[in-house]
Amino acid sequence: MSYYALLFIAGIAGSFHCIGMCGGFACSLGGDPRGASATAVRHALYNIGRLTTYCFLGGLAGGLGWAIYTCLGTRSQLGAPVLSGSLEAVQRGLAVVAGLLMITMALQFFGIRGMGRVTTGFGGSTLASALRGLLSRRGHAAPLAFGVLNGFLPCPLVYAMVAQAASTVDVLSGCLTMVAFGLGTFPTMLLMGGLGRLLAPRWRQHGVRLAGSFILVLGLLTLGRGIVPMTAHGLHHVWHVT
Amino acid sequence: MTPLPDALCRHCLLPLGRRGFVRTVNGESCQFCCYGCCIAHQVKSGSGDASEAAWFLVRLGVGSFLSMNIMMFSLLVYSGAFTGTDRRVLPTIHLLLWGLATPAVLVLGEPFLRETWSQARRGHLSSSALIVLGSLAAYIYSTLAVFRLGGNLYFDTATMVLLLFTLGRYLEAAGRARASRDLAPLLAAESESATVVEGVEEHRRSVREVRAGMLVRVRPGERIPVDGVIVEGCSHTDDSVISGESRQIAKTVGGSVLAGSINLDGPLLIRSSGCGDASRWAQICRSVREALRQPSRTQRIADRLVGAFVPVVLALAGLTLAYWGHRLPFGQAMLAALSVLVVACPCAVGLAAPMAHSLGIGQLARHGCLVRSPGALETLAVTRVIAFDKTGTLTLGSPQLVDLASDGVGEGEVLGRLAGLERHSEHGLARAIALAARARGLDPIATEDVRVVPGRGLRGVVDGEVVAAGSAAFMHELGWQLPPALVERADVMATSGHSVVFIGWSEKASTGRARAALSFDDTPLPEARATIEALRALGIRVMVLTGDHAGAAARVAATVGVDDWQAGLPPDAKRAALDQCRPRHGAVAMVGDGLNDGPGLAWADVGIAVGSATDLARETADLVLPRDGLWLLPWVVGRARAVRSSILANLAWAFGYNLIALTGAVLGLLQPILAAAVMAGSSLLVVLNSLRLERLPGPAYPGTLQSSAAARAASEWQPREPAERSRQRLEIAHTWGERSPRPET
Repeated sequence: MSYYALLFIAGIAGSFHCIGMCGGFACSLGGDPRGASATAVRHALYNIGRLTTYCFLGGLAGGLGWAIYTCLGTRSQLGAPVLSGSLEAVQRGLAVVAGLLMITMALQFFGIRGMGRVTTGFGGSTLASALRGLLSRRGHAAPLAFGVLNGFLPCPLVYAMVAQAASTVDVLSGCLTMVAFGLGTFPTMLLMGGLGRLLAPRWRQHGVRLAGSFILVLGLLTLGRGIVPMTAHGLHHVWHVT
Repeated sequence: MTPLPDALCRHCLLPLGRRGFVRTVNGESCQFCCYGCCIAHQVKSGSGDASEAAWFLVRLGVGSFLSMNIMMFSLLVYSGAFTGTDRRVLPTIHLLLWGLATPAVLVLGEPFLRETWSQARRGHLSSSALIVLGSLAAYIYSTLAVFRLGGNLYFDTATMVLLLFTLGRYLEAAGRARASRDLAPLLAAESESATVVEGVEEHRRSVREVRAGMLVRVRPGERIPVDGVIVEGCSHTDDSVISGESRQIAKTVGGSVLAGSINLDGPLLIRSSGCGDASRWAQICRSVREALRQPSRTQRIADRLVGAFVPVVLALAGLTLAYWGHRLPFGQAMLAALSVLVVACPCAVGLAAPMAHSLGIGQLARHGCLVRSPGALETLAVTRVIAFDKTGTLTLGSPQLVDLASDGVGEGEVLGRLAGLERHSEHGLARAIALAARARGLDPIATEDVRVVPGRGLRGVVDGEVVAAGSAAFMHELGWQLPPALVERADVMATSGHSVVFIGWSEKASTGRARAALSFDDTPLPEARATIEALRALGIRVMVLTGDHAGAAARVAATVGVDDWQAGLPPDAKRAALDQCRPRHGAVAMVGDGLNDGPGLAWADVGIAVGSATDLARETADLVLPRDGLWLLPWVVGRARAVRSSILANLAWAFGYNLIALTGAVLGLLQPILAAAVMAGSSLLVVLNSLRLERLPGPAYPGTLQSSAAARAASEWQPREPAERSRQRLEIAHTWGERSPRPET
């Protein structure tokens, strides 16, 4: 369980980063004139939409990881006599890739660019500007749709978590990884929606650093999981106590 | 409602084509080339609560919400999460999936169904028919499985296929719109509105309603809608749409402004000097629109193939179902057939050429080069021979009088008569003669009935006597005598490489004779040599075809570095010279500017006119370079080649992909969802591949080679960067309103 708890905390820490864009969205989603409960429903729908997207991405990534895992695993079975050994190698390889991705993302939070083109490239800005049209719309469908599409907006945090989900090599675990992360972003996002932009920009800057640090630590851990031999390190057990 | 033929899509500005339809957006009737463009336009232009754009996004969002849930549960089922003791929840999960899938299919499938229906009524089978058929079959089969028959469920297939295609079309449309971004300012001329000041009131009016003399107010950042003169205010303007040169030009009261240029920093009040739709901007706009409408040969072939594709694919899917139906459970056989339907959607093929064309035409237009038809670009790409006219193309076109030899007449009379005659000519020599006459204080002698004999000279009448000026051949044709002394002098002039003009007239109704020979020297353009070297580096043979004297041709050819030249060619001989090249080298391009090469430009496979060419040349040219734009030619050729290779790569990808994927699908190796994902991805790849054209470098003035040119480059082209940037900024501001929030990275 500690694994998901860690991801939940990563979500909370990461959501300071979210304030920049998604928080702005949550703010402008605003209140519902029909009252507080309607407003709550509005924001809940938005966040559920977002969570669904994250969960889907996580499941997809997990499924992909699983596909690679089984595909490579069975193939290497022909060459290598020990099935479990080669499977483990695949899983470790995935962990290394995911870890490296996460570290790259984390470095972006500290202002070191390099993948900026990927994250904010074609489509992202178009989608973001298009989405603004949805914000002012009333009704229950709009916030839900907005949340769903919002979830697809390019975000290094989400990418990092998806990489993490892929390294779990299981659909369900992938889903749960992203759900844990997504739930972690709930408090801040709900707060943003309810209370508005309270945090000063300087605080947000700190928040972004904090988010980056968390992703960096997670990335290093994931990388470590891939590199450090399983028998030599107790860390592995931490990861698999779920 | 059927769309008008020959119209351009409201969103991406490409020709409507087969999928075209009309939709009302924000109360305005708009034509779109595809559903994706319709969506994208709505998303882009939509504002406020009532816009359909928001409704589309709601549709897409809710559709994704439902299909993602379906996908997740399906993935869990596939990955074996509900085995063992959890097995008893499976029927509930199935019901849940059905409950999610039904609204999803309705929400996402409706536009495809509508398109299929409207196409079917016009007797076409569109590619959306394939999508509709595929997803409906999967949905109905799975519904039956839930309630009656049992068996596998394919709700995820049904909904994800629809979702991916919707998404694919949206991204495709966004890419197309981006491709035409460069074209937008050029095509805006007709739809632009102007703020007309009438007394104390200001009205927004369409440019077409603006007449000469009206006062128009232009705020900073706005595009100047009409040609005119500044009455009030001062500012800088950016004329790049018209001249191709991105630099800021200071304008103040009394200065003239061109429609299409951007008013950068100060408010202006302009008195319109002509009708709104008569400006050069509007003409460029019409020309570009015309160019986009004409499908190139590649495009026509691709369209025909796409048209034949759909029925073939339907048949193939039927065969696949029949074949696998005997060997596999029905569900799996159906999946194989579905994959065939989904994977064969030929969207990418239809997109291959128009995107690259509009990108190419747009970028050329941004640097002031107008393309008359996309076909011209494709031909230019394969052209291996470029023939240049000399005067005004390779040379400055402003020759100077250097020598005059007369036979028994005074210099004043010669120049006076010549000036009177050449007043009616646009030829480069005419200006030199006028200058020489003015320098000597001579008035041109009034000449009537002046006629231009293309490639030969001019003839007219003074006081009932015929006056003619032109080549020695022209004198012979008139049956006029050439005094040997004059011919000798002329030969000396010609061997030193100068252009020689004879002038003669008749006296007292007798046959005329040549009276004088004048020699002119024309300076080659500073950038001509570098341009020709650059062309040669591109593997292009360069030759000079001129109506001028051999000596002049040889001198200019040597200066600019061309060893293949033919001189003394009248227009029809130029055509013959072009014809001679064709068997050996294929397509031939001709670069020229004046009246002399109008027929040559028309006769060449690609006629290229440079500068403010005479109207005839502009009419017959396939490509018009801006004034002083010869140096752009190697870049234009490079761009044309890039466009062509991009089209070929797109087509190869689209067809190759279709064939491979289709084979995989027929063999039952491809999952429908995967097929849809890669299919949508293939359109996106075509878009992205075409957008690579955007990244190619802009033209670079070859100024470093020659000092004078370098000085010119420094003075003229330095401000390009800031001006360009500010222009782009303005455009962005125009397009998107305020800046959207972006992810912090």
